[in-house]
Amino acid sequence: MRDIIKLGAFLLVISGVAGLGVGYVFSLTNPLIEKQILQNKINSFKEVYPQADKVENETASYLRESHDPAVKEVNIAYRDGSPVGVIYAVETKGYSGPISILAGFDIAAAKITAIKVLNQSETPGLGAKAKDKFFQDRYRDKNAAAPLEVTKTAPVKEIQIQAITASTITSRAVTKGVNAAREHFAANFARSK
Amino acid sequence: MSLMNEFTKGIVRENPLFRLVLGCCPSLAITTSVDNGLGMGVAFTGVLLASNIVISAMRNIIPDSVRIPAYVVIIAAFVTMTDLLMHAFTPELYKALGIFIPLIVVNCIILGRAEAFANKNTILPSILDALGMGLGFTLALVIVSSVREVLGGGTFFGIAVLPENVPAILMILPPGGFITLGCLLGFLNKIQKKTA
Repeated sequence: MRDIIKLGAFLLVISGVAGLGVGYVFSLTNPLIEKQILQNKINSFKEVYPQADKVENETASYLRESHDPAVKEVNIAYRDGSPVGVIYAVETKGYSGPISILAGFDIAAAKITAIKVLNQSETPGLGAKAKDKFFQDRYRDKNAAAPLEVTKTAPVKEIQIQAITASTITSRAVTKGVNAAREHFAANFARSK
Repeated sequence: MSLMNEFTKGIVRENPLFRLVLGCCPSLAITTSVDNGLGMGVAFTGVLLASNIVISAMRNIIPDSVRIPAYVVIIAAFVTMTDLLMHAFTPELYKALGIFIPLIVVNCIILGRAEAFANKNTILPSILDALGMGLGFTLALVIVSSVREVLGGGTFFGIAVLPENVPAILMILPPGGFITLGCLLGFLNKIQKKTA
């Protein structure tokens, strides 16, 4: 009985010391990490919508009513004080896990400016190519009015996105995410013609 | 002489992956490209060094019957700290290694070295043991990942070495990991039998 208390107390002490150590390191590094995450986000915003001089997260006012659960964030890009673009953060299910994507839209042109895959855990050498520039560039300047579709051969229509070779599931997932953003954009921002 | 031996034994004679066959799980998972393998090896060596030092320093304090939970707590704490520190101070390196750092906690080589070496030896041999084992594991990962990256992706360190159509994607998928490790182990056993 006394042994159990002694051993228990020892484990309690060692866990306590380890916990304190981790806690100390966490309090030391957390502000730096938060700053980096924010900086990364700002840099990614610049990549998908370069012309903005200010980006505000306005998710709360745009995602109030029911919406596609893939859409996670709505950020409005401003230039000279007026809104010019929308940057969506969307998340879809890929071949081996969630894929999070930023998709930028231009309000005046009603077009996709660019997309960026932020996080993915797809197969290296196959689906992981979704984060490469060549694939993301396939979404550039696509019209926001009609749904995009994936094709395995070279695209012949404006709305077609050529899949990554041997990674149709990943390509479809990315396209599905972009389409979710596109739909929200078309419903909320596209100027009526 | 014997101190030197503690260092060199991990590299070939008691290579953790090829001879002790420890740490297979992370080895199979991350050896899809050479820079992944190298990164995992370096991060692993850092954690093994820290845990070996602390465990050998505390070997007379830790009661025998609860040593394993104590090791697990120490190792997990080091891995978490390494993860946080790298994220904060070396963001570029963290981006490359990020997903592998939490994987180190389940690497049985660290627990294996704590149990088999650090709790029976003083600090200096434990440091040498950690460095040798770390180097040996890193080398093993680089060898496995070289084979897989060249055959499966057609590149080496990201530089194309094979024509576009040659690579067999199988090699960078999970089965390729088992095939590569199995062939390498068999090959090394054959060499060893010849020399012995």
